Amino acid sequence: MIQIRNMSKWYGNFQVLKDINEEIKEGQTVVVCGPSGSGKSTLLRCINALEPFQKGEIIVDGQSLTDPKTNKYEFRTEIGMVFQRFELYPHMTALQNITLAPMKVRKKSRKEAEEHAMRLLERVGIPEKAHEYPANLSGGQQQRVAIARSLAMEPKIMMFDEPTSALDPEMIKEVLEVMTGLCKGGMTMIVVTHEMGFAREVADEIIFMDEGSIIERGTDISFFQNPKSPRTKDFLDKILI
Amino acid sequence: MFDAVINNISYLMGGYWVTIKLAFFALAGGIPLGILVGLGRISHNKWVYYPVTLYVNVIRNIPLILVIFWFYFVMPIIIGSPLDPFPSAVISFIIFEATYFGEIIRAGYQSVSKGQIEAGYSTGLTYIQTTRYILIPIALRRMLPSMITQSIVTYQDTCLAFVIGLPEFVRRATIVDTLEVRSIQLFGFVAIIFLITCYIASTISRRFEIKEQEGG
Amino acid sequence: MGLAYEFDWSVLWRNPYGMYLVQGIWVTIKMGLIGWAIALFLGVIIGTMRISPWRWLRFLGGAYVELFRNIPFLVQLFFWYYAGPMLFGASLEKSINSIIGLNYYVAIIALGMYTASRVAEHTRAGFSSISRDHYNAALSTGLNHPQMYRYVIIPYALRIIIPTLTTEFLTIFKNSSIAMTIGVLETTFMSYKIDSETFHGLESTTGACLIYLALGLAVVGLMGILESRLKIPGMIGR
Ligand SMILES: Nc1ncnc2c1ncn2[C@@H]1O[C@H](COP(=O)(O)OP(=O)(O)OP(=O)(O)O)[C@@H](O)[C@H]1O
Ligand SMILES: [Mg+2]
Repeated sequence: MIQIRNMSKWYGNFQVLKDINEEIKEGQTVVVCGPSGSGKSTLLRCINALEPFQKGEIIVDGQSLTDPKTNKYEFRTEIGMVFQRFELYPHMTALQNITLAPMKVRKKSRKEAEEHAMRLLERVGIPEKAHEYPANLSGGQQQRVAIARSLAMEPKIMMFDEPTSALDPEMIKEVLEVMTGLCKGGMTMIVVTHEMGFAREVADEIIFMDEGSIIERGTDISFFQNPKSPRTKDFLDKILI
Repeated sequence: MFDAVINNISYLMGGYWVTIKLAFFALAGGIPLGILVGLGRISHNKWVYYPVTLYVNVIRNIPLILVIFWFYFVMPIIIGSPLDPFPSAVISFIIFEATYFGEIIRAGYQSVSKGQIEAGYSTGLTYIQTTRYILIPIALRRMLPSMITQSIVTYQDTCLAFVIGLPEFVRRATIVDTLEVRSIQLFGFVAIIFLITCYIASTISRRFEIKEQEGG
Repeated sequence: MGLAYEFDWSVLWRNPYGMYLVQGIWVTIKMGLIGWAIALFLGVIIGTMRISPWRWLRFLGGAYVELFRNIPFLVQLFFWYYAGPMLFGASLEKSINSIIGLNYYVAIIALGMYTASRVAEHTRAGFSSISRDHYNAALSTGLNHPQMYRYVIIPYALRIIIPTLTTEFLTIFKNSSIAMTIGVLETTFMSYKIDSETFHGLESTTGACLIYLALGLAVVGLMGILESRLKIPGMIGR
């Protein structure tokens, strides 16, 4: 589903991503972790064509991002993305947040878009909040609306960038439940998170990044039990307490 | 090219000195009065809060030029004899700018979150210690950039003393201009002096803003 | 003890002084409104230039703002009024100077250009307070750039900018009083004129103060009505 080959990216002289190689199959969930500034968010942004990269190749569902014929806007509809700070549109209700792209990009009728949005809100567990503005929702509810907003474009892949790190513990659970549900439903997912319980439960692969490189990868058990590099061990010690 | 400026440079710079003095006194009086105004605006005593709030809201809705005129007319009646333009202008500036400084101080105070104060109490600090070591330092850092900006505005505002005939920088430039008719260089000169001084000051103030953000 | 000053409040309504003030108010309002239209138009363009991806546009926008913000408005006004016509060369200077009401036009344009620098700053601040991920969120759902600006970024930015612009709108009426220094017959000028004719400057300037207060209240009230009419949902800040 996603192939990343020898991909590198620079901001000016600063190399943020160094020779990234990764393959994600349909229905797989990959968890990305690593210290702050290691380039996790940048990697997700590159995959979603929100950032250009200078070297290598990213192929998503057979379409190469380096191919000039690839339409970035259509490309992005294939991938949903959820952000740390939710980024809901503050001037729109939950429902309007969800229906905007389907109506403007897919040209769906309002009725159709709203019906779909309501089904999604039920799926994330807050249909009763459809007509609330983001300011009146809790963090966990906002993040669930944000997930529904991404799902509304019926993406083949979902990416999450630290979706729970701005949330209180009790809200983390409700968001992770929604994500676990998606995963069980067969969605291809890339999740940047430090919730190792979640990673253990759903990840098909865990990647550890440091200073722009993937320095460790493994399926769950091996990753936690015998990290190969001392950096990974340090990091795991910190986040697993 | 700059003949009119060069020939009259000491006269013009004498005016600039008046401008500097005006700004100095305006700030030396305006900031302390502003602190009192700010305290009044966060006071829970309604006999303090409402009069101060009225004062602030009235003055902030009136053009400075009119405040200058008004004091120029009212001072002789209060003190019983005509008052020089300089002290009259200084009083107007103090009364006027204090309302702006007061609002900056109030906003700075209110920007300190309750959690930060409670964190102080929770570590066993007393009320005075919390105020001294937490509230005041945080609030001061928050308001420093706006205080500098408002000081620059005050410095620019002093040229309005022009209207009561005070021979400050701009007034002297117009006097030279009526004799020499060299408007471009004369007003260009005044503009450049203000531009350079204000630009430097605002660059410094921006430094503080950046520091504050880095300090998280 | 005070001077034996006899108050005469009738200078606020007596003939012809009452009429002076009415004319002054009308000029103040006209200057504020026209100046505001110029400021809004120019300011939004310049503010947008300052956040554009092109370095030259950003530089030009920044230079404009620094230039107009760091020179007192009074000096700008004198420069445009006294030196402005000279910039066109000797032949044009005469005909420009003979325009009737030149001081009024210059004052409005100068006021508009000055206020534009402040509007530009509010515009820039509004846009740059929106996080990069907010743009990304819109793009990641497949909206294209025009759609992103139209449905997401501009409505959001407006909600941040409008309250600060309301304050700026009040300020433009106050700043228009500085036009009296080049003889524009606005409210402050008229109160001064009443003083020179009656020596009752205290009453006339007090009257002018009340006029500005009333104007301020009227603007705040109108904005309140406008805001509740528009019922802008998700409005940030009270
Ligand atoms: N627009 C940019 N210009 C220059 N450098 C950038 C830019 N965006 C990010 N960086 C740098 O790239 C590096 C990687 O950033 P990135 O946001 O991808 O890290 P991250 O792993 O997501 O960290 P975090 O856990 O803090 O979110 C950092 O050193 C950051 O300073
Ligand atoms: Mg990140």
